[in-house]
Amino acid sequence: MKAELEKIEKEALALLKTDLSLDEIKALQVKYLGRKGLITGCLRNISSLPQEERPKIGLLANKVKKLLEEAFRKALKEYSAKEKRPEAGIDVTLPGRPLLRGTLHPITQIMREISDIFSRLGFEILEGPDIESDYYNFEALNLPKDHPARDMQDTFYISENVVLRTHTSPIQIRTMEKKQPPIRMIGPGKAYRVDSDISHTPMFHQAEGLMVDENVSFGDLKGMLTIFVHQMFDETTSIRFRPSFFPFTEPSAEVDIECVICRGKGCRVCSHTGWLEILGAGMVDPAVFKYVGYDTDRYTGFAFGMGIERIAMLRYGIEDIRKLYENDIRFLHQF
Amino acid sequence: MKVSLSWLKDYVDVDVDVNQLAHALTMTGLEVESVTDQYACLDSVVVGRIVDISPHPNADKLSICNVDAGEGFRSIVCGAPNIRVGNLVPVALPGTELPSGITVREAAIRGEMSHGMLCSEAELGLGDATSGILILSDTARPGTRVKAAMSLSDTLMEIDLTPNRSDCLSFLGIAREIAAILKKDLNYPKIQLPSGDRSVSEQTSVIIEAPEHCFRYAARLISGVKIGTSPFWLRSRLESIGLRSINNVVDVTNFVLMEYGQPLHAFDFDRLEEHRIVVRTAKEGEQFTTLDGVERKLSSDMLVICDGRKPVALAGVIGGLNSEVVTETKNILIESAYFNPISIRRTAKRLGLKTESSHRFERGVDPRGVISALDRAARLMLETAGGSMAKGVIDEYPRPTSQRVISLSVSRTNRLLGTKLSAVAIADHLGSIELNVKISDNDHLEVTPPTFRVDLERPVDLMEEVARLEGYDKIATTYPIAPVTSNKPIQRLPCRKSLFASLAGCGFSQIITYSFIAERSCDQLLVSSDDSRRRMVRILNPLTEDQTVMRTSLIPGLLNTMVHNRNQNNEDLKIFESGKVFFHTKEDTLPEEVEMISGLWTGSRRERSWHAGATTVDFYDIKGVVERMLDGLNVPSVHFRKPGDYARIPYLKRGYSAEIFSGEVYLGEVGEISVDVLKNFDLNKPVFIFDLNFDILLSQISEVKSSKGFSRFPAVSRDLALILDNTVEVQGITDYLKGLGEDLIEYIEIFDVYEGKPIPQGKKSVAFRIIYRSPEKTLEDAEVNDLHEEISKKVLEHFKAELRPS
Repeated sequence: MKAELEKIEKEALALLKTDLSLDEIKALQVKYLGRKGLITGCLRNISSLPQEERPKIGLLANKVKKLLEEAFRKALKEYSAKEKRPEAGIDVTLPGRPLLRGTLHPITQIMREISDIFSRLGFEILEGPDIESDYYNFEALNLPKDHPARDMQDTFYISENVVLRTHTSPIQIRTMEKKQPPIRMIGPGKAYRVDSDISHTPMFHQAEGLMVDENVSFGDLKGMLTIFVHQMFDETTSIRFRPSFFPFTEPSAEVDIECVICRGKGCRVCSHTGWLEILGAGMVDPAVFKYVGYDTDRYTGFAFGMGIERIAMLRYGIEDIRKLYENDIRFLHQF
Repeated sequence: MKVSLSWLKDYVDVDVDVNQLAHALTMTGLEVESVTDQYACLDSVVVGRIVDISPHPNADKLSICNVDAGEGFRSIVCGAPNIRVGNLVPVALPGTELPSGITVREAAIRGEMSHGMLCSEAELGLGDATSGILILSDTARPGTRVKAAMSLSDTLMEIDLTPNRSDCLSFLGIAREIAAILKKDLNYPKIQLPSGDRSVSEQTSVIIEAPEHCFRYAARLISGVKIGTSPFWLRSRLESIGLRSINNVVDVTNFVLMEYGQPLHAFDFDRLEEHRIVVRTAKEGEQFTTLDGVERKLSSDMLVICDGRKPVALAGVIGGLNSEVVTETKNILIESAYFNPISIRRTAKRLGLKTESSHRFERGVDPRGVISALDRAARLMLETAGGSMAKGVIDEYPRPTSQRVISLSVSRTNRLLGTKLSAVAIADHLGSIELNVKISDNDHLEVTPPTFRVDLERPVDLMEEVARLEGYDKIATTYPIAPVTSNKPIQRLPCRKSLFASLAGCGFSQIITYSFIAERSCDQLLVSSDDSRRRMVRILNPLTEDQTVMRTSLIPGLLNTMVHNRNQNNEDLKIFESGKVFFHTKEDTLPEEVEMISGLWTGSRRERSWHAGATTVDFYDIKGVVERMLDGLNVPSVHFRKPGDYARIPYLKRGYSAEIFSGEVYLGEVGEISVDVLKNFDLNKPVFIFDLNFDILLSQISEVKSSKGFSRFPAVSRDLALILDNTVEVQGITDYLKGLGEDLIEYIEIFDVYEGKPIPQGKKSVAFRIIYRSPEKTLEDAEVNDLHEEISKKVLEHFKAELRPS
């Protein structure tokens, strides 16, 4: 028993000299001094020794116990002192394990933002087919065949009466055909025109808006779009309406915002006018209401449409529209 | 349309700054796109005083002038004989680009350096005189700009007209708008015609055989003209807006076209075989050579002007070569007509011919303005080409235009615009642009628009005029009052959002590619000829060969995007696209549109970093992504099956791809792109994709999520390591275990799959950890041991497996 105790003492002290972690020190403490530990085991076994050896061994066991208790106390103290030393631990400047961030296309992000703004105003988000009949894309929007205004939109044809929609406006017609006023809807989606240069792509995105009710006025249209511009850009952005022409609205307006790049002072982006055209709008032409069977004496409404690419380019400072459809991963990861 | 300010000033007094004017026009609906200085090219032409003239040593006809050009003396070589010492002359400094296109440079002329150029009136584009240097008045100061010294100023405005405003396709039309804005009078040209000699009706006649195409046709005859160059004023007017001068007669017709917006045509009267005009539709297939020298084949709905025997002009579009005014022409018949806009539009479109004339006719000219434009042209021709006019005018007018009277309600106008305008204020606005307005009572106006405003037909058209003349910026901004309503969003929106969030969370970036793709895409994917993806919707007028058909799959877009990125050395790619594919159904009907969501993963599994070496993506990585997407949407009973055959998915690698089901509903597939298809896209690295039908997915989504209770008692786990045939699918074993109906099995985890030594060939080892837990009590070891042993025995027997020795 004596030899055993001496071995325990020697072994434990030796172990404590090695470089141990906190957990290891604690584990050793349990191993030697714990309730089922080696020293405790020895003390317990004393009763099985011959009577004469008991006091001597008991004394020794208690001595070893005290010694080890002191040694562990010291080791733990040293450990916590070591822990506070600056050179200890890991290099926290090394990068963490990377988790790749996926991004949504800038067009999607802008579309969502627009949809969210109008959703908050009680507009319902609706969609429609990309390939449309001549009727929905043109005729019911007061653009009969042989009308010169058809030249405003260069159309991709599938057949005589089937086209790739040139704007998202057909969503208006489909919505009004299905339900009676009051209507508040926003229709985001793709549109297509035979056009390709630094500021046009043959496929692009639009968001269409429509509100129909009793007594909706041109002043109200100005109000709604002012809210929109102030949320989409910022509260201080000026907005102006100027007369224009669309076959499906009357009066019609082009809506300009103060150039977000130069704040109206005049720069390359706004062709030195201080203004940027961002959407077209107007009061729904009664001819359109007739196509969908609305009572033109009772209802008035406004409609608007905007190009998403233009807004995305302004928002993110994208100079070449084609970048949006190259889908270079280095570009996409920027958003 | 281009307009010159000085020309406009012939009709209206403009007393505001041109930029102010441009702004005002823009704000009333005539968008001024640009304002440019007509004489910008003369910015570097200055006044110079000739202080000395000496003969050129090497050329008899040249002399060397020493010129004080303000900033110092310049030596300039000159050939003109009219200059004297002391003369003030225009000096084009080196670098000047003259209107003729010549750029002035410092150069040696016959061995003598010339530091600029003395200019004639013609060289500066200011007149006809070519023979001598322009001598300026004595008051000019050397060094000042010639522009300033001669008070030359003109501004060019480019106006982007909307298709409804055909009345503004003329100087008078735009001047009318300006007059209304500036509250000035509009001055029409004063036309005084001689009474004429022999009556026109004795000499010619006009017969309209197609009155549905030609509503009015008027003509005058001028004989004994002398064809020549137009006077300077006429040429410079035309040239100022970019039109080329041709001869005095043709220039007059073009000038009046621009002035009145009424297209005119001058025929060589002697080349009209029967000396008369017949307006008829063309014979099918009739050949006709137009002024531009192109022989054209006509069809029976096109309108032609004939001389009794043959066509001499394509009505309203372009004249014929056979009746063109040439140098020898003596007698002229001037045509001024009103053709049916639709007829002209169809003809011009069919022949692909767009002229100043067709552009105006198809938008509608003023049917009442036909005669004034004709008279104006006759007057100007007599002035510029001489000759004498026949007495009277021929005016065939089978379909006279009636004046529309529109009843306008003041209250409804205010309701639509959100204004509070009085009847008088509205009448004033409409009156300012020559609308005839009668106030019937406080709420009603009787409005008669002039015939040149073909766009004003309904009350709402007048409301728009009121709005734009009042000024959109003056209409108060208001907010609509609407009852509170709300609809549940259409299902696809939140579902799309969920998928996008899952994918972005997995590190996938969204791409958007064109909906039209190359026709060869199906071949590249090895899709069989009877596959539905061959039912492609074709575009009749594609922009490029790569955009001829609407896509029937998103995979080509993903692969092409990978090609683009690979070419940019972007080797690691995790991308997805959400969008529609299109399937042809029946001729001339809308195709079927299906929304898909598809993704591609290639390159490294994780972002490269110092933590671990690069490993490349495999099937189980992308399968994990699909599982996460579907889990996020709460799609029930999702499972993956080895395809029975690859006919539907020929582009996927056999043995490394799976079909995805929800119950028995097919959702799509996931797997590796086959080597052959990679080759077709010029790719060579492993690519994994998923392709899901979003529309079908939507129909499978269970919106109900419900909370279940869970046990508070500890779980006990037991492992089960099997050795079995490597053809056995693990899913079968887990399904079997679940199928045992043992309530205490909470969860089954697969923690090891292994093939190779020491496992015998053709076998694999699969290790399961089964978690047992009771909702009611703490399980006893013995109880679990018994159950686990029983289950193990069943599995071993059912799958003919052995226990893997531990």
